[in-house]
Amino acid sequence: MDLLPVKPLACILFFVAACAYLVPAGAATPREIIARAVLAEDAGAKRDFIGQLMGQADPAIAPLLEAWRTDALFIFTATDGAKIPVVLTGERDEAGTQTAARIDTGAALTAANGQPLRLVVADLAAADHTSSLRRAMKAVLDLADLAASEPAKRIKAILTIGLAQDAEKLPALQARLAIEPEESVRRALRESIALAQLKDDRDAIKLAALGELKELRSLASTDFLTRSLKESEAAGKPALARAAREALRSVESHRSFVDFFGTLFRGVSLGSILLVAALGLAITFGLMRVINMAHGEMIAVGAYTTYLVQNIFGTGITIPFFGFSLPIFGLNLTGAAYQWYFIAALPLSFIAAAIVGIGLERSVIRFLYRRPLESLLATWGVSLVMQQGLRLMFGANNVQVSSPTYLSGNWLVNDIILGWNRVFVIGFAMLIVFGMWLVLTKTPLGLLIRASMQNRTMASCMGVRTERVNMLTFGLGSGLAGLAGAFLSQIGNVGPSLGQGYIIDSFMVVVVGGVGSIGGTILSAFGIGGIDQVLQQYLPYIAPGLSWVPGIGSFLQNLAQDAAVFGKILVLAGIILFLQWKPAGLFVTRSRNLED
Amino acid sequence: MKQKLTSLLSVGALALGASLAPASAAEAVKVGVLHSLSGTMAISETSLRDVLLFAFDEINAKGGVLGKKIEPVVVDGASDWPLFAEKAKQLLEQDKVSVTFGCWTSVSRKSVLPVYEKNNGLLFYPVQYEGEEESKNVAYTAEAVNQQATPAVDYYLAEGKKKFYLLGSDYVYPQTTNLVLLEYLLSKGVKLENIGGGFRKDGSGKIISAGKYTPFGHTDYQQIIAEIKQFAASGDACVISTLNGDTNVPFFKEYAAAGLTAETCPVVSFSISEDEFRGLPAKQLVGQLGCWTYFQSIDTPANKKFVADFQAWLKKSNVPGLVKEGRVTCSPMVLSYVGVYLWKAAVEKAGSFDVDKVRAAWKSGISFNGPGGKVTTQPNMHLTKNVFIGETKADGQFKIVKSFQNVYGEPWLKGKFQAK
Amino acid sequence: MSAPTVRRYELIAVTVIALLLIVVVPLLNANGVISHFDLSRYGKYLCYALLAISVDLLWGYTGLLSLGQALFFTLGGYMHGMYLMRMIGELGQYKKPIPDFLVFLGWERLPAFWEPFASFPFAMAMVILVPGLVAYVFGYLAFRSRIKGVYFSILTQALTYAASIMFFRNNLLLGGNNGFTDFKFILGHSLADPATSRWLYIATAVAVLLAFLFCRWLSKTKFGLVQQAIRDGENRVLFSGYATAHFKLFIFVVAALLAAIGGALYTPQVGIINPGEMQADKSLEAVVWVAVGGRGTLLGPIIGAFSINYLKSWATTAFPDLWLLILGGLFVLVVLFLPGGIVSLPARLKAAWQKLAARSARKDRDSPPAPDSASAKS
Repeated sequence: MDLLPVKPLACILFFVAACAYLVPAGAATPREIIARAVLAEDAGAKRDFIGQLMGQADPAIAPLLEAWRTDALFIFTATDGAKIPVVLTGERDEAGTQTAARIDTGAALTAANGQPLRLVVADLAAADHTSSLRRAMKAVLDLADLAASEPAKRIKAILTIGLAQDAEKLPALQARLAIEPEESVRRALRESIALAQLKDDRDAIKLAALGELKELRSLASTDFLTRSLKESEAAGKPALARAAREALRSVESHRSFVDFFGTLFRGVSLGSILLVAALGLAITFGLMRVINMAHGEMIAVGAYTTYLVQNIFGTGITIPFFGFSLPIFGLNLTGAAYQWYFIAALPLSFIAAAIVGIGLERSVIRFLYRRPLESLLATWGVSLVMQQGLRLMFGANNVQVSSPTYLSGNWLVNDIILGWNRVFVIGFAMLIVFGMWLVLTKTPLGLLIRASMQNRTMASCMGVRTERVNMLTFGLGSGLAGLAGAFLSQIGNVGPSLGQGYIIDSFMVVVVGGVGSIGGTILSAFGIGGIDQVLQQYLPYIAPGLSWVPGIGSFLQNLAQDAAVFGKILVLAGIILFLQWKPAGLFVTRSRNLED
Repeated sequence: MKQKLTSLLSVGALALGASLAPASAAEAVKVGVLHSLSGTMAISETSLRDVLLFAFDEINAKGGVLGKKIEPVVVDGASDWPLFAEKAKQLLEQDKVSVTFGCWTSVSRKSVLPVYEKNNGLLFYPVQYEGEEESKNVAYTAEAVNQQATPAVDYYLAEGKKKFYLLGSDYVYPQTTNLVLLEYLLSKGVKLENIGGGFRKDGSGKIISAGKYTPFGHTDYQQIIAEIKQFAASGDACVISTLNGDTNVPFFKEYAAAGLTAETCPVVSFSISEDEFRGLPAKQLVGQLGCWTYFQSIDTPANKKFVADFQAWLKKSNVPGLVKEGRVTCSPMVLSYVGVYLWKAAVEKAGSFDVDKVRAAWKSGISFNGPGGKVTTQPNMHLTKNVFIGETKADGQFKIVKSFQNVYGEPWLKGKFQAK
Repeated sequence: MSAPTVRRYELIAVTVIALLLIVVVPLLNANGVISHFDLSRYGKYLCYALLAISVDLLWGYTGLLSLGQALFFTLGGYMHGMYLMRMIGELGQYKKPIPDFLVFLGWERLPAFWEPFASFPFAMAMVILVPGLVAYVFGYLAFRSRIKGVYFSILTQALTYAASIMFFRNNLLLGGNNGFTDFKFILGHSLADPATSRWLYIATAVAVLLAFLFCRWLSKTKFGLVQQAIRDGENRVLFSGYATAHFKLFIFVVAALLAAIGGALYTPQVGIINPGEMQADKSLEAVVWVAVGGRGTLLGPIIGAFSINYLKSWATTAFPDLWLLILGGLFVLVVLFLPGGIVSLPARLKAAWQKLAARSARKDRDSPPAPDSASAKS
């Protein structure tokens, strides 16, 4: 910064003066420019008009562009066919009409006789806009946003300017840096200034900028640095090239740091999802030895319950079923109250899946306790029936489950993305595990469950009503699956075949963990999740190293490039091999029974 | 349970019997409808059956084709590819249909193709596909890659995009499309390092595949999103997605959660039409792009009439299993619909239902003004049609931001675009 | 019913059915009574019957429920498919001497492993070797570490799943998810010729008969008895000094080969083979055929494969929406109430009739139906 020849205050003055200079007397006012932009036919022309607004200080610009972006700017066609861009102002009366203001003058829209016209929103065409146009608007607004009150908004604005490498806006950035108190914003400012300075003609400034980027380890600068490196090499400037190379190296080392911890987080998050999906199975399969192939459908029941609750909080829903339709009325909640739907859905999805599970246990599974393979087959049949049932009730299409605001967002810690939904899942997985541990070890029900599962006959002899315990245990397992469904609705799709995507993974988790061991399930879920993410992240790096394998070298190399696919195959193969080493999984439930 | 099922079955049988009561044989022409009405593909294909039945009813109400009423023979491929071949045989050899409208996935088309070639049948295929095929027994009303993917790239380039990330499901259509796109991007001067997703090379170092692929039903997009985020960090980046069906939901949910938006890095998806949109998180998709040869939002009297007529037909129709609520129209549906009218026009021009004569009429160039504008048949069995690029809106519709008129359908694209 | 009577009935039934399938049906087809469409459909069902026998050999006779038999079926189909692809010659879309998808992937010459598949005997050898080897390696690993029961089922399912992901890939150079299709010739005969399909049908019917006879013979040998003893009490067999792992491995490989032969016959008749065939659902469907037909019997799987697939062909035309409900529901009902499957029906009805007759004498109210003697404890 010391290199800069201009003092901050002078800089501001210069900037304001420059702005004033840019608008020659008699030229179109910002309002007129916007009006022209609205009416321009060609997208490119629209963009050019918007570009003219850049740096203009007229307070009318921001609200007008904001209105345009949000479809609140309309084109009114007068009786003589002239098209006039307008915004609606004033209160809506009973007929739904409002007064309007012309964009180009800001004056009220009047009819030929001078009376103010009243318009209805539905009759008007909103001015159209494309993403590139919105981007152009955003660039204009960003400059205005430099002084926004929220730091996040400021950072966004600053980075947009920096990535455009717009030297004209350097003074504005530097001026802001002088007075910016927030550390994160200062960082963004330094980054953007350095990026913009990379375009400077003077080598000294470039060198300083490269040094700055090296220090900042800015991920966004990779492409710019590479370009700069090439340019300086081509121009025969070794000092610059060296600086660029060093900066690149520092950015790359930061990237591997981000990748590493990002992978760690993603592994934990995937592990939590696997855990949540498999916990129910760990109970039904692990404790009860019932192979419930309909476990996936229990997850789907939970997800659909979430969907239903969402609709009940909203506008209601009609469910068609075999030609009958069942209307469910909605509460028509909006805003914050509506956002609570997800919290309400959690216990309900547990209950719904538990009820379905208990029904399944009573009607099918209880006849098959002594025939585990047959319970596998019968529940597969049940799973087909349930899938088709869901399809008939909710349609073959996926249904929309929207994320509440508190689950859609992220923290960016040191360039590592921590999605709120993921953090929530991790937290909740731990809560569920803790809750399950409490139930199993600290409650009378837990005692009965463990007793019946260890030795059903003996427990029965001691007076435990094993029939009832079986039913409740299965209900608990299914309820947990339902809870998993509620979570998965936030991350994946909700459709009739939702459960199919998780069933094999869930079985793998339980088998690897050791059937009957909840601790093993937890460990294996995080293990499999972690390994999967590590493979996805790092397989492409080792891909070139695979070319030595005779015959299939290039095949393996290409396979490793498709890390998502190959990772999955490797995990499955790994599990099969792992079971060679530990056939009973990570944690063996010791038993003297020969058949166990 | 058993009793209930039986009663249901008999009710179904009655309904079906009533609706499919055949017209008298002399005045009817049999037409096959071969779509998956059950299994995983039923989501998409059921809509095509519906619009076909609608088109048949419309034509029958106006006197049919060459004075004969259309009698549809509807069979279910059940998302089972060998079953598709079996059903195609049934249609051609047993029912002796004059023409078949059907198939969605490429593999189902590949599965029935030998059957149509053996029996010299005619299949109308309505869904965007990878090209590299041209059979005289298939009328491709579908979008070829140059009627969807390359216009989308043109649009991106005009928008000033410089970096392209290719992402798709791991199967033939995405891989083919991405390979063509790779050549196209390079021919447009986009540098190789600005094309994201990775490359695969053969032993000699030649690139044989581009893009990032995930298995069917993939649910975990965290790592890929992190990669896209880094890719897009330096601005002017976009994503070209050929992900199919279900996987779009976790992808877009993760995309939004990572703070990526249509303004920072837009995604154009080739598999999301209005129909698929119904199951997607609309709010998180606003501003993302779609590219098709038809959108429901096309503002022409012809389209408005089509949409209204279809809705009216849905209300009064008594086809069993028909979903009547919340229906939309989309490109594959319109291409099915247009196909029926083109077949009618070809038959009338040929004056016969004979496949060879109908094909000759098709090759001579027939035009039809459909809901998406004028379409014209080509000698290579494809269609010339308009291409539209739309931005998704929160209500599940697309706002058209760009249109290309009369794009010639070209199935053979690989190797066509050479870098300068 | 005394044992010899049963055997005689069975002999008559088998002879009649075999004659019907191998001789009568093709003759009727040649005379136009049975359409080509129906014949090719029966051919497909017969291939499925082979798959069903393979499932039954493992599940019904050895107590090993494999959910991966469709993998071996498909592998067999692929090996034969590779031969058929080579026979297309230059008649493909690109008019090149190598398969279309290879041209598309940028190959100009055939990859080395495709070369020998131009030879029919080589392809047939591969139909046996490749699935056999996969079964041997997997079975060796699984049985060595004494993985059994549901673990075995789940692992076979995982194996199939991994394989199907693998085969979906274009880069495996086996046609990706489209697989192989558009075959033209087999051994110089055009596949479009009805006579070719008739001979293929006959070959399949003969294969099913041979498989049936082989399994029947096997089940009567000492080996077969050990096999069934493993099903009923593996530990006892183990303690009696038999290396059960070897027995299981052998039967696993044999079953894989049966499935593979079914697959190899399936490919030319259906005209397509792709990874969709090896997904877990397909294996489970095959298990349904066996369960419905009657496991632990040899006729059961064949009857099951025929009846369920016939039902599927019909239901997917008549009630597309209800097909899965019918299949799933039927399966649950059979597992719960008819563990012996269709073949146990006559005995069941007879028992019920006797019971009804006896009821007039003594008031014996409905005790839960005991598992049929034919159905084994698993």
